[in-house]
Order: sequence, then C-alpha cells, then structure tokens
Amino acid sequence: MNLKSALLGAVCAFAMAPAAFAERGTDGEVKLTFPQAVSIMNPYLSSGTKDIFAASMVIEPLAGFDDTGALVAKLVSEIPSVANGGISEDLTSITWKLLPGLLWADGSPVTAADVIFTGQYCMDPAGGCAQLSKFDGIKSIEAVDDMSVKITFNGPKPNPFTAFVGSTSPILQKAQFEACLGAAAPTCTDQNSMPIGTGPFKVTGFTVNDTVSMEANANYRDPAKPAFAAAVIKGGGDAEGSARAVMSTGEFDYAWNTQIPPDSQAAMAAEGKGVFVVAFGTLIERLEMNMTNPSADLPEGERSTTKHPHPFLSDINVRKALSMAIDRHTLTEVGYGAGGTPSCNIVPAPALYASDNTGCLTQDIEGAKALLETAGWVDTDGDGIREKDGKKLSILYQSTVNPIRQDFQALIKDWWTEIGVETELKAIDPSVFFGGDAGSPDTFQKFYADVEMYANNFDGTDPEAYLTQYKCDKAPSPENQWQGENMNRFCDPAYDAMVAELSGTRDEAKRAELTKKLNDMVTKDSFVVVPLVHRGTLSAHSNALGGVKINAWDSELWNVADWFRVK
Amino acid sequence: MREAVSDLVQVDGLKMYFPVYSGVLRRHSGDIKAVDDVSFTIRAGETLGLVGESGCGKSTLGRALLRLYEPTAGRVVIDGEDVALLRTEALRKKRPTMQMVFQDPQASLNPRMSLSSIIGEPLVEHTALSTAQRQERIYELMDQVGLNRRFANRFPHEFSGGQRQRIGIARALALNPKFIVCDEPIAALDVSIQAQVVNLLEDLQDKLGLTYLFISHDLSMVRHIADRVAVMYLGRIVELSPRDDLYARPLHPYAEALLSAVNEPDPVRARTRQRILLKGDLPSPANPPKGCNFCTRCPKVFARCLSEKPSLFQVEGGRQVACHLYDPAKPSAGSTGGFPHPKHLQQGVSE
Amino acid sequence: MLTFTLRRLLLAIPTLLFISLIIFLLVDLAPGSPMSEIPLTVPPEVRKKMIEALGADQPVFVRYILWLRQFFWVEPANLIDGWFGTNLVGGEQRILSWQSRSPVFTVIGQRIPQTLTVIGTAYLVGIAIAMPIGIYSAYRQYSVFDQIGTLIAMIGFSVPTFFSGTLFIIVFAVWLPWLPTKYDTTLAVTDWSSFLQQLRQMAMPVMVLALANAAAISRYMRSSMLENMGQDYVRTARAKGMTERVVVLKHVLRNSLIPVVTVIALGIPSIFGGAIITENLFGVNGIGAALIGAIHANDLPMVQTLAFIFAVLIVVFNLIADILYGLLDPRIRYE
Ligand SMILES: Nc1ncnc2c1ncn2[C@@H]1O[C@H](COP(=O)(O)OP(=O)(O)OP(=O)(O)O)[C@@H](O)[C@H]1O
Ligand SMILES: [Mg+2]
Repeated sequence: MNLKSALLGAVCAFAMAPAAFAERGTDGEVKLTFPQAVSIMNPYLSSGTKDIFAASMVIEPLAGFDDTGALVAKLVSEIPSVANGGISEDLTSITWKLLPGLLWADGSPVTAADVIFTGQYCMDPAGGCAQLSKFDGIKSIEAVDDMSVKITFNGPKPNPFTAFVGSTSPILQKAQFEACLGAAAPTCTDQNSMPIGTGPFKVTGFTVNDTVSMEANANYRDPAKPAFAAAVIKGGGDAEGSARAVMSTGEFDYAWNTQIPPDSQAAMAAEGKGVFVVAFGTLIERLEMNMTNPSADLPEGERSTTKHPHPFLSDINVRKALSMAIDRHTLTEVGYGAGGTPSCNIVPAPALYASDNTGCLTQDIEGAKALLETAGWVDTDGDGIREKDGKKLSILYQSTVNPIRQDFQALIKDWWTEIGVETELKAIDPSVFFGGDAGSPDTFQKFYADVEMYANNFDGTDPEAYLTQYKCDKAPSPENQWQGENMNRFCDPAYDAMVAELSGTRDEAKRAELTKKLNDMVTKDSFVVVPLVHRGTLSAHSNALGGVKINAWDSELWNVADWFRVK
Repeated sequence: MREAVSDLVQVDGLKMYFPVYSGVLRRHSGDIKAVDDVSFTIRAGETLGLVGESGCGKSTLGRALLRLYEPTAGRVVIDGEDVALLRTEALRKKRPTMQMVFQDPQASLNPRMSLSSIIGEPLVEHTALSTAQRQERIYELMDQVGLNRRFANRFPHEFSGGQRQRIGIARALALNPKFIVCDEPIAALDVSIQAQVVNLLEDLQDKLGLTYLFISHDLSMVRHIADRVAVMYLGRIVELSPRDDLYARPLHPYAEALLSAVNEPDPVRARTRQRILLKGDLPSPANPPKGCNFCTRCPKVFARCLSEKPSLFQVEGGRQVACHLYDPAKPSAGSTGGFPHPKHLQQGVSE
Repeated sequence: MLTFTLRRLLLAIPTLLFISLIIFLLVDLAPGSPMSEIPLTVPPEVRKKMIEALGADQPVFVRYILWLRQFFWVEPANLIDGWFGTNLVGGEQRILSWQSRSPVFTVIGQRIPQTLTVIGTAYLVGIAIAMPIGIYSAYRQYSVFDQIGTLIAMIGFSVPTFFSGTLFIIVFAVWLPWLPTKYDTTLAVTDWSSFLQQLRQMAMPVMVLALANAAAISRYMRSSMLENMGQDYVRTARAKGMTERVVVLKHVLRNSLIPVVTVIALGIPSIFGGAIITENLFGVNGIGAALIGAIHANDLPMVQTLAFIFAVLIVVFNLIADILYGLLDPRIRYE
C-alpha cells in the first residue's frame, strides 16, 4: 500500500508537476511529540490545542490562516470576497467554491453535502460542540450546486471567516459521521479517533492519550506532497522531556509546546541539534484590577459586584502606579525567555490591530511613588504602607498554581512593597480557578481578590469578540451565576458604544483603528487591565526537519504537507 | 588417669565468647563469656550429666562441642579428630558421628518439612541409600522411637510435644551417631512423658552403644541417667564427679547448694539435710567476678577466692573440683591425704 | 479453604460497593471541574452546552447510579456481546471518558499491556535483584556487602523516581546516546531487532522502578531471613551436616519466603496501578499515565473507574495473599 501510493505519487508528480522537486512519501517518517497526548481527533468535541493540532494533519477547513494571519484557501479555489462576488454586498452571505476533483482519503469525492453536514453536526443543540461560537449568527447553510456552499447570516457579518475557517473548524465527511449527530456524537469512538479527511496524512492507528500514527494520504490534492510517507505524534511527559527528545537526543523531529525555563532553553539550543521557534499569537499574561469591592465584610451576593466600587483600585492613579512599578523585561526574562516579550496591549497582534502602546515598558518606581503621593496616598503612620481616608493600600493578589506565576507574584510583590503597597499573595489550583464552579469562592469570575493574574487570548485574527468581553453587561455577578468574561467589572458606556460601532464597521482600516482605541481604553487609558507579557508558544524542531513555518493564527502544523527531510 | 583410648570425647580449654558490639559504629566492646575454659572427657558408652542453673552456659557448651558455634579457643576431640579445627567439608562429613537433641522440640523442627523429610534429609546427604531403602530406614527409626508409621507425612505442628521430641531423637539417630548431646531433651515435656523419653534414651544407649552428654537442670533425672556429672556455674565447670559420689557428698559449695534443693529419696538423709539458699543473683557472663566466679554468692568465700580463679583439679579418685578450699597447694585448707569434713568447714565459716 | 474464599468474596461485595460510593463522592467533591480544561476563548454558553453534553451537570447521585449501572451491567454485557455476538447492551451508553469520549474500558484495555510489560517486568526484575541481595545481606549480617546493600536500599527508598528517572535519561540518553527517552507504543515485536528495540525502550523505566521495588523487597527479605536464621531448626539442619547451601536456601529461605511472598502479592495491585511518575516521564502509556492525565483533565468517569478497579484489585490481592499464606505455611489452615 505504502509503496503503491509512493509510486503513484511519484508517477503523478512526474506527469503533472514536472517542476516539483519533492515527491510524495520519499522522506520516510516524521516524528512529533506533544507534552499533552492527543485525546481525540475531532476538534468539534475538544477544545484542547493538542487535539486540534493533531487533527489538522488529517482534516482540513475550507480555508486557513498562514503565518502572517492572512487567509489561505485550502479546499476552495479562492477566498471569497465582495470583490470576487463570494461575499454578498450586504455582508449577509458568503459562498465557498470547492476545488474540483477534490477527494477524501478514502477516494470518495468531497461535495457541498459534506460542508453542510459539518455545519449541522456542530450546530446540533445536543452535541456539545466545542466550536459552536464559530457558527454564531448563521441562518442557513445550503448547497448552491454540488461544489458550492452558501452560508447565510442573520444579519450583516463583517467577518464571515469563522465557520469552516481555521483548524478548529474542519470539514467532516458526511458518510463517516452521519450516525454521529447530536447526542450520539461522543459515542462515535472510531469516527472521533480516525476521521477520514482531505489532509496530507490519514490516521492508521490511534491510541487514546498516547500515539497517533499516520501515513501519507494517497488522495491528497497535491500529488507531490507530503514528502513524508508516515507521521507519528507521541504524546505525554512534560515540556522538558519533549524539548529534550528533539534538542538533545534527536529522537523526534518536532516538539510542540516546549515552554521550559529560559536557562534550559539556552542550554539545549547550544547543543546545536535543533532550534526553538516561537509562535506569537495573542496570548497575554496580564493583571486584572478589580473595580468592585471584594471585601469579605460585605454580605454574600454583594462582594465583588458593581454595587460597591473598590475602595482604592477605583482610583486610576493607584492602578497606574501599580503598573508603573512593574519591570516587564525582568518578568519576561525570568519566566519565558525566548517564549515571551513584554507588552502593554491586550490585543498584541496581528500587526494591523496592535496599538503602538509602549509606555509601560520602562519601570518607573519613583514615578509611581510620586503619582501616589500627589494623589494623596501617603504613609502617615510610618508602617511603610500608604493610606488615604483610613483606606490602606493593601492588596490581595491571586493567581493559579504555576511556578512561573509564583515567580511573577513574588517579583511584583517586591516592587509594590517598594512603592508602599502591601501585597498578600494567593495561588489557587488552576482547575478551581478556571473551573467556573459557581459554588467556589476561588474562581477567576468571582474575583474575591483585588488583583488577579492569568493569560487570555482570542481565537483567530479578529479581536472583536474578545473586546466585547469588556462590555458592562459581561460582568460576572450572582444574577448570571457568575458567568461572564468582564472580570474587572469595568464599565464605560463610551467603550460599549465603540464596540457596537466596531460590529457595524466593514472597512479594514477603520476596524483596526477602533480596535486600537478599544485596546487603549482598557489598558493605557484606564489601567483596568495591566498587560505584562505577550506569550508565544515555544516549539522545537530538529535541524533535520525542513519546511517548518511557525504559525500563531492556525494550527502550528498548518503546512505539514510542505515539511521535508533535510539531507 | 584414665586411658586416653577409651575417651570418645576430650575437651580441653574450650572457650565460647560471644562478642558484644556497641555504639553507632558497632565497636567490639566486650565478650559474653558463655563458656570459659572448660575441660573434661567422656568415655565411650558413658553418659555425662551436665547440670547448672539457667543461663550458666550448658547449651552453649553443647553447641560449641558440636561446632554449631565457632569456639573461641580450645580443643574438642571427638572420636579421634579435633572438631574445633575441622574445615567446613570435613566437618560436614564428621557430623553423622555427633548429633544433638535440642532443648525445644517445636523450634528445632523445620515447620515446613514433613516428618519423613526431616528424618530423611540427612540420609540423602550422607548416605547412598535408594529411595525405598531410605523410606525403610525412616520407618525403622520411627519404630525405634515409638512413632506410628502413619505419621510419616505429617508436619511438626501436628504432633504433641513428646512426639516432637521423639522426632528430634529419631532425626539425631538417623546417621548412627556415636555421640549425642541431649540438651534438656525433657525440659519441655510433662512429667509422665519425661520418664518415657529418658527411658527411650537409655534403651537406645544400650542397644546402640551411644555416648551422651546429658544436659539438664533436673538433678533427679540426671541422677537417674548419668554415670558422671559435671556441675557448671557461670560458664565454668566447678565440679565433675561420679554420680553417686556427687549426690552423696558434693564437694564444691555451689554443687552442695544445688543438690540441697533436690528431693532426697532417702528419708533419713532427707531429715538431716538442710537447704542452702544462695543469696544474690547470677553475675552477668559478660562481666564475671575477678576471682572465683562463685565468690559473690559463696557461703564459704575467703580472701583468695576474690583474687584468684580456681581451676579444675583432681581431688580424690575420679573427682575434680574447682575450689580453693580443696587446693592441695594450700595447707590451711587441708592436706592432700585427707579432706576436711565439710560440716567442720561450714562451722568454720559461720563462726 | 474454598468456603473461606467464598465467604471472604461475599463479604467483599458490600465493602466494595461502599468504597465505590466513597470514591465517587471524593472524586466528585474534589475541587476542579472539566470546565477548567476548556480555553477561555470558548464563550460561556458554549461551555455550558459542552458540560451538558457530557452529563456533568446532573446531580451527583444520579451520576453515581448511572455509573453503577454502567460498571456492573453495561460493561460486562458489552464484554459478553463481544464474545458471543449477543446484543445485551442494546445501545446503552458505556462509561465514556470526558476527555477523549472513548469508552473508559477501551482506554484501559489499550493501556494494560504496556503497564503489565513495563511495570510487571520492573516488579519481576526488582524481585530478582532483591532476593539475592536480601538473602546474602542477612547471611552476612553487618558485612561490607550488607552495609552497601543497606545503603543502596536506603537510596532506593528515598530517591524519588522522577529524580532517578531524569538522572537515567541524562546519563543513558543524553550523555551516552544508548537508550530512547520516549516509549514507542506502536512498536510491534516481530523479529529479533524489534525485540531488541523493545528491550532498549523498556530498559530505563524498568530499571528506575526495579530499583525502587528492589529496595523495599530486599529489606523485607533480609529481615525475614534474619529472623529465621537464628531459629533452632536451622541449627538442626547444620547439625544434620547439610551443606550451607541447603541450610540457607532450603531451610532458611523457604521459611523466610512466606511473609515476603505475601508482601509481593500485596504489591501486585500497584503493578496494575502503574507508576504515575515513571510512566509519565518515559511516555509509557500505561494506567498510571492515564490516571494522572484524567486527574489533570478532571475526567471524572476515568478517575472514578480506575480508582474503583484499584480498590477491587487491592481487595482481591489481599485475599490472594491470605490464601497464599495458607498454602505456603502448613501451620495455617483456613476453615
Ligand atoms: N548467640 C548468643 N549471643 C550472645 N550471647 C549468648 C548467645 N547464646 C547464649 N548467650 C548467652 O550465653 C549465656 C549462656 O546461655 P546458654 O543458652 O548456654 O544457657 P543455658 O545454660 O543453656 O540456660 P538454660 O538452662 O536456660 O537453657 C547466657 O547468658 C546467654 O545470654
Ligand atoms: Mg539451654
């Protein structure tokens, strides 16, 4: 089979693409390792990056993003636009045209029915689809003909590139998944672990939370690709072990997510067997300031709600001083090395949307002190802690249990102590902190603390939904069972209005401008969110692997078809 | 002096010290002198009784004789060979000649071996018998000690104490030994069975011409079975006399005290006899007194006893005693020809 | 013996049911939720739907009863269906992992072989190392060998496997590039060279675990030997003129083995339990790695089922240890 497909590929390559310098299946096996093992190959049932990346080698969306964040066609002949008529003038529909002659790995043709089915699959209310938000606002998905699909939205949709775009939203084969709709979705074990796709590889073996074995897809649309005849993803262990397997022992070609301490990074890189590559997406490690009073003296149900403003964090001078006291370069060096860079934005990328906001990058302890001083926050009783009107600058600063975060907490506490702010640290188990249990006092939504630190990002390249999170009505509260993403309980009608404006704006440049303004409103203008570090995903590949183009906007393995063995 | 030829066992200056280690580094800090410079002989076919209170070193002596312990010093000639010097393999070959019946019949039998394998094991090791012959021999031995043949496949815990001791004896007999150390073979048994076992041992001696070292603290049983008796105190033999002489007139003050506790079968003598109660405790064998070992408790102690250890020497015909009172070199204690009357002496001390 | 076994098994049923309830409540009450695994980019409404699809929003007793039914009826029925082609299950849902959506027992079935080969081999190797060391240490108590043995055992006890494992990796995979650091589960042993490859990839995890096991077992062996060595029956054996070999290996060893064998039997459930740290470190996809992965992902059905299986194994092997004791020691009889 392998030989046959290799030969076939070779023949095709010779016949159809004389210019191609690679042939399918000539480079042997490519070995990848993930510190978290792959659980399932269906991104609709998992939100784990490991699962999405692994699946991206096998099942593909209609279009994806390249390493600059630009759209690239995958299963379609062109990216729809208003100009080429793919997007309706009123932005309420988009029409995708499938590539002619496109085949599934099993040899059957890819048709509009598969795309429609995939939409149905994810939008089924009983399915628990993890990517449901990608299908938000879709009114209907219908076939124009066998090879084109029209998606109609409830209203104008400035960014229609969510459904079927990017590795989180690949096309499933209708024939394979037909019996897996709704409540049956999780029970389709075979389908979920060995989906039939259009990608460069097809699954030959799957052991849950351990290994995915793949071979080159004989029906892949580019007959010269992939160069590798087989691929394997071995999961488990830790970042250190994965990095070692590529950078020291050379057992693997590629390791995803090798975030290890900066000194280990340097030592391994010095061995010269491989390189670390960083994908800088939109992940920002930040401090969130609580604008409401978390005091335990308040009755339950009123703590950390908009009923009571925060005694001192509601003063912008305090928030600003806290930000000024922080040395983000030191934090980056200590925590992330090459895997991070200091940042003052919550939208750090794509370049188009990133505000040129660098004011926070230099630490200014004296300035912070002076600011507090002039704002009336002075240490009157000589205990080293500033106070005003009987309110002490005493902060409870919470985060999750994580060695880097504890380092950050300790450093920041020192700086804050220096400017006369007393700081108490708290570290919470991440599964509790992010667990969203309305009964637990320790969730990041309840925010029973003054300051909390975690990382957040947005999906894809469009920050609109992400910026929407800071609207007044997104604040978690007892009324909405503490669900909501506006942790700070930040509320500015001007902000809400601008978000609404953004939703209605189609012009790219205008959207970028609004985005930057919104970003600045919550960061440098108000210091409600205090960004610290723009975090990348550190991966490693050996010098013997060629073609790697790290990508923060889609699966890191987005161009695995182009990978080859360096000889 | 007896003729050396008829001595089956000759013990000369036997010492058995157990080293004591202490401290974190386990440094050698002293010795338990369980057997300290013991010499005696046993004639072929004779039974030598060995008596003494608990902890005086009887078992240790018995085991050291058979090289079940590595003696610290001394010679143990058994049947013409110095057992103390034999190399491992030669010693193993020698083992069939000398056997032991142990004090605790329960503990001395391997709980996981059946009776026939316990008795049969040495036969496999030391003889060339076929399986059938061996089985026959096992039955024969069982018959000899009065064990029902049906029991052959039972395990030790399925027997009574008396039966177990018979197994121990059968086992000891299996290889036709010449010399058997019987270490309190009856101590763990009740009185009715004690007599049976002792009679069995006597019968076997008659039939097989065995030589015994019979260890016991039951003096009346020793009187019944032994030809000569050695009295031990704190690792040393204090008196070694023919049975009748000893029981009639113990020489050593310790022997005297020990025997005074025995029930006197003769009512006339019983009336005149007085029990001598020893005061004080047995000193520790790790730290014996400087002079005579018995000096701390001896009713007749005098200056010399405190500074000089008496050694065992011949007094009257066939009797040996280790006591300064009988030292021929010391005129005040009497002359070589006659012995002071113990009563007189006793008075002398009490005054 | 048979009645004893049956009685013990019957008694075990209510015990195990009770244990299962306790485990369920403990696992459920433990802080954390499968929510925490979902990235923040997923909006709350979608998260809520995902949780509902898992059935994780049901009250705890409803889930417990469902789990009981799945564990004691659906899963065995599924097994029977698989053997005889019957259809007892009739479309009822098996216990599904929240993390991978695959049946928990399928995952366990995939993982048992690795755990048994690696952890089982480590256990056997550990025993094989421990026995001679224990025997000889006791035979020559306080000798140099014994002292070194004691030292090594102490190191084996006290050095955590993640440390010894990392050390092994650095020495045998990084400095001396001899052994692979990641266990390849897909390797099929078909010929000599793949067999060698299998040995190579097992070498490190096996040695790390064997060291830890050997430390404990050699100590048990040593003390048990010492206890027997001073017994009268050993003196009897010597007096019989048996060679030292026979005395030590037959008389002393056989009696000393009784407690050691039971200790070993009691340790067997831990083989099934796998070795969480070692498996994870070397990428052996065994039960231990499954358990820790499930705990991290708050995959309650997986954790619950594994924990309960361990409980069953522990109860069963306790019984086996008791029965073994009776078989080995003629003095003990169960009625
Ligand atoms: N293996 C040993 N190590 C150290 N000391 C020992 C050892 N065996 C015996 N001893 C000591 O040697 C002394 C003599 O012991 P032994 O067993 O010979 O006494 P015994 O006369 O047989 O007493 P019993 O009548 O109670 O059997 C005792 O003080 C005992 O504590
Ligand atoms: Mg004794």
